[in-house]
Amino acid sequence: MELVDKIIKGERAAIAKAITLVESSKDSDQQISRQMISELIKKPGKSIRVGFSGPPGVGKSTFIESFGSYLVSQNYKLGILAIDPSSQITGGSILGDKTRMVEISKNPNTFIRSTPSRGTLGGISMGTREASIILDAAGYDFIFIETVGVGQSEIVASNLVDIFTLIVGPGSGDELQGIKKGITEYADIFIVNKNDGELKMEASKTAADYKSALSYYKKLDELEKQVLLVSAIEQTGMEDVIKTINQIIDQNKLKGIFDERRADQLEYWIEEEVKHIIASDITKRLISKGNIPKYSKKVMKNEMSMYEAVETITNDTLKQ
Amino acid sequence: MNNKLNNGFNTWQKSFEKETKKNFSDSKSETDEGIDIKPVYTKDDLENFSFVESNSLPGQWPYTRGPKASMYTNRPWTIRQYAGFSTAEESNEFYKKNLESGQKGLSVAFDLPTHRGYDSDDDLVMGDVGKAGVAIDTVEDMKILFNNIPLDQMSVSMTMNGAVLPVLASFIVAGEEQGVDRSLLSGTIQNDILKEFMVRNTYIYPPEPSMKIVADIIEFTSKEMPKFNSISISGYHMQEAGADNVLELAYTLADGMEYVRAAISKGLDVDDFAPRLSFFFAIGTDFFMEIAKLRAARTLWAKIMKDFGAKNERSLILRTHCQTSGVSLTEKDPYNNIIRTSYEALSAILGGTQSLHTNSFDEAIALPTDESARIARNTQLILQNETGVTKTVDPLAGSYFVENLTEELSKKAWDIITEIEELGGMTKAVKAGIPKLKIEESATKKQAKVDSGSRVVVGVNKYKNPKEPLVDVRVIDNNRVRDDQIKKIQAIKESRDTKAVDKALTNLTNAAKDETNLLIPCIEAIKLRATVGEVSKALEQVYGRHFAKSLSVSGVYGKHFEGDKEFMKVESKIKEFENVNGRRPRVLVVKMGQDGHDRGAKIVATSFADMGFDVDMGPLFQSPKDVAKDAIENDVHAIGVSTLAAGHKTLVPELMKGLKEIDPKSKIIVFVGGIIPEQDYEFLYENNVSAIFGPGSNIIESAEKVIDLISDNLSKE
Repeated sequence: MELVDKIIKGERAAIAKAITLVESSKDSDQQISRQMISELIKKPGKSIRVGFSGPPGVGKSTFIESFGSYLVSQNYKLGILAIDPSSQITGGSILGDKTRMVEISKNPNTFIRSTPSRGTLGGISMGTREASIILDAAGYDFIFIETVGVGQSEIVASNLVDIFTLIVGPGSGDELQGIKKGITEYADIFIVNKNDGELKMEASKTAADYKSALSYYKKLDELEKQVLLVSAIEQTGMEDVIKTINQIIDQNKLKGIFDERRADQLEYWIEEEVKHIIASDITKRLISKGNIPKYSKKVMKNEMSMYEAVETITNDTLKQ
Repeated sequence: MNNKLNNGFNTWQKSFEKETKKNFSDSKSETDEGIDIKPVYTKDDLENFSFVESNSLPGQWPYTRGPKASMYTNRPWTIRQYAGFSTAEESNEFYKKNLESGQKGLSVAFDLPTHRGYDSDDDLVMGDVGKAGVAIDTVEDMKILFNNIPLDQMSVSMTMNGAVLPVLASFIVAGEEQGVDRSLLSGTIQNDILKEFMVRNTYIYPPEPSMKIVADIIEFTSKEMPKFNSISISGYHMQEAGADNVLELAYTLADGMEYVRAAISKGLDVDDFAPRLSFFFAIGTDFFMEIAKLRAARTLWAKIMKDFGAKNERSLILRTHCQTSGVSLTEKDPYNNIIRTSYEALSAILGGTQSLHTNSFDEAIALPTDESARIARNTQLILQNETGVTKTVDPLAGSYFVENLTEELSKKAWDIITEIEELGGMTKAVKAGIPKLKIEESATKKQAKVDSGSRVVVGVNKYKNPKEPLVDVRVIDNNRVRDDQIKKIQAIKESRDTKAVDKALTNLTNAAKDETNLLIPCIEAIKLRATVGEVSKALEQVYGRHFAKSLSVSGVYGKHFEGDKEFMKVESKIKEFENVNGRRPRVLVVKMGQDGHDRGAKIVATSFADMGFDVDMGPLFQSPKDVAKDAIENDVHAIGVSTLAAGHKTLVPELMKGLKEIDPKSKIIVFVGGIIPEQDYEFLYENNVSAIFGPGSNIIESAEKVIDLISDNLSKE
């Protein structure tokens, strides 16, 4: 496939077009996309995929600008997939993430793609996993996946990455209640941003709160969760972040956790794809049979109960 | 209401309802500010005032009626036309011509590189040199700018905020080298950085160090330059960016309060500097509202300054410059602009301004020509000499309507000021981005009113001219200007004492680390022929450069069009596009170069998104190369370039080149919007621009054109 060769050569326009294909809702695009991904998967790169999430307003994009600048200054190639949480009350989205990534967006060693979330579960869009495969094949050392931290997003996002990072702000200690067990299982690193100016004290205190709370939730066989203090504006703490990421990756590789995770993720991916195909197939059948309007009328007329209608429709739809 | 009047009013109301076939209570009209205007006002509307004192006199507390007792009866307002372009030599010629023709004061427009602290030879400013103002790189340029204009006799206003230190220093040194002591210099420096963070975006450093610089200048001028206004607190750019009059009034006064606090924190007594604070407001087409705004501004400022403990009467008095509204000018049927400007000028005069700039009718298209500048100036000369408006002070005082409107505006503005104060003042509010968002929301509403036709703009959405006239424009060859400037910089760098300059710049960097007044080391560096760019960089080493976060409103535009046929047509075209192409049409909206006027770009972004486009917003101050990379990585269908500072002839071809460099087969469509003279259209089309949208373009029609162009382009594949 010509497109595959161009991606592997790292041609910017080809990478961009390929991401459009994997995000497309058109059937013909999806077919090409599957073929392309199958070929790309055979030629994996060596990227480390890092997830960044956190509540709105903690400075995620600013942190990525700052941390990304540090990485490119160390000659790493960096791909960023930013899932823009912009409102979808109205038709389209305004993708403004890049206005906060001024410096790295100029750098020739970066590739930055914003995608509107469209209200999908956890803000992860269709095609994010495939997009990271494309960037991996294109030779990017790090792939950042940035999502806004609402509800289930961390869990979905953590299924796409090798290491998952939660960014929080000073004074978010109160939110520890909300973190509870769930997130500690998914996040590997906690980054307390805004460790600068008037907020410095508060940031240190928050980091300490996280540390003690996390040790409480720690399972016996688990690595200790890392809590780091950074200032995106003052660009401090960035070496610690990359050092910690590399340490965790090395340890995970050594213990086999790295491959185990990727295997789990593959399993999850297959499951999702199968579910998706079955669901869309059955939905098509369901709609073409026209049973829902037919039976809901019967329910309205009290000819059958709602649950009877559901059972009848389900049986009829699943019947070959 | 006494009985007699009451009976009279009831009779009037009956007649009114009979004539209009409407209930009196349904006959109010709501202004942009959310004020209900009644069809008639009576004596009753002068009651229960908390701000305006109906019996006051001009030059007396609370100064609603004017800063001086005699106002124009003694001396008319100053005709002060804002101008500057190209090189210092050409601007100097233009100034001298204007002064001979009856203009009284000078007002210097600097080009964007100067504003942003870049020298003309910096790669970042390729398209901007000499375009929207004059290029100043060193004190030598400043000396040429005022050649044969005696600075001890001429009051000079300078619109400068970002690079305020090197520019004011150059002005002081130019004066000294002309033989004029700094204590004799008169005029104003805008020095209003807060509004830059809100609307105009020609800042350099982050808010806190920027505020320190403002305070330094207030301190220095209050001690050394007694005839010079240290700041011009400006609402003008807020209205230009789409703020309604209440927002403009409230945010301007709140900015003023913040500057007063900054100066007091330097240990100054409020009366040391307050008399030299000046203001700058925009005058739009809402005739009575604008008059009321100026009267309300004086009323509120007097109260504010009294609360600051000012004792000197002159500290209580708000003096202002005004400019007619640039955003009210239209590209379509441009001679209408002469009429608009005339009414706006009359508003400013009836409101009691101290000086006035009237726009030239061609400013929605390009910089004024000699001829259009003459008409603009004559608008004021006719008002002064033929109409008799100078013969009576504050002639609208006592008008039930105007007095009531003044009170209403004061009240509404005061509420917003109180809110800002509760937030901890304007610096904090600006950092949080609140005023910017409010102004953008107001701008989007205004645009929606025009596009939906609920607000008439003659010659644009009604009474269109079937034969649009082609007007002459002033053309700036910015490549030539840039080459000239580069030569001058080189010559100066060769002849100056480099070691001394370096030392002066190091001193400046060190001074930025402590509390030293920065103007003093700045003057030293400028005297030694350091450039504006070098001085700015010396400070940047300590302060860094500021990058604004960009927030966007959404849903404001679309709300005005619920059920609108044209709007729904575009929406359904976009849905169809999505079905065919598997994604929504995606457009990158950008500003390139140093042009920070982003109202247009923001309105296009939010309204396009409301119609269903996916819109990428680029950061400000991007180079064409950065834009190309951004566009290709996000695989957008089209790029919309917003240009208001005349850089398009350089920047657009560079963008095309940039796209082809990354992807020789790039099919990305480029459309351009903003201030573009018709003479440039052909050039842009030859450079493969697909569509051009001038000021006053209907956004829904533009969006439809863009989606059609994108669809056509894709079907060609």
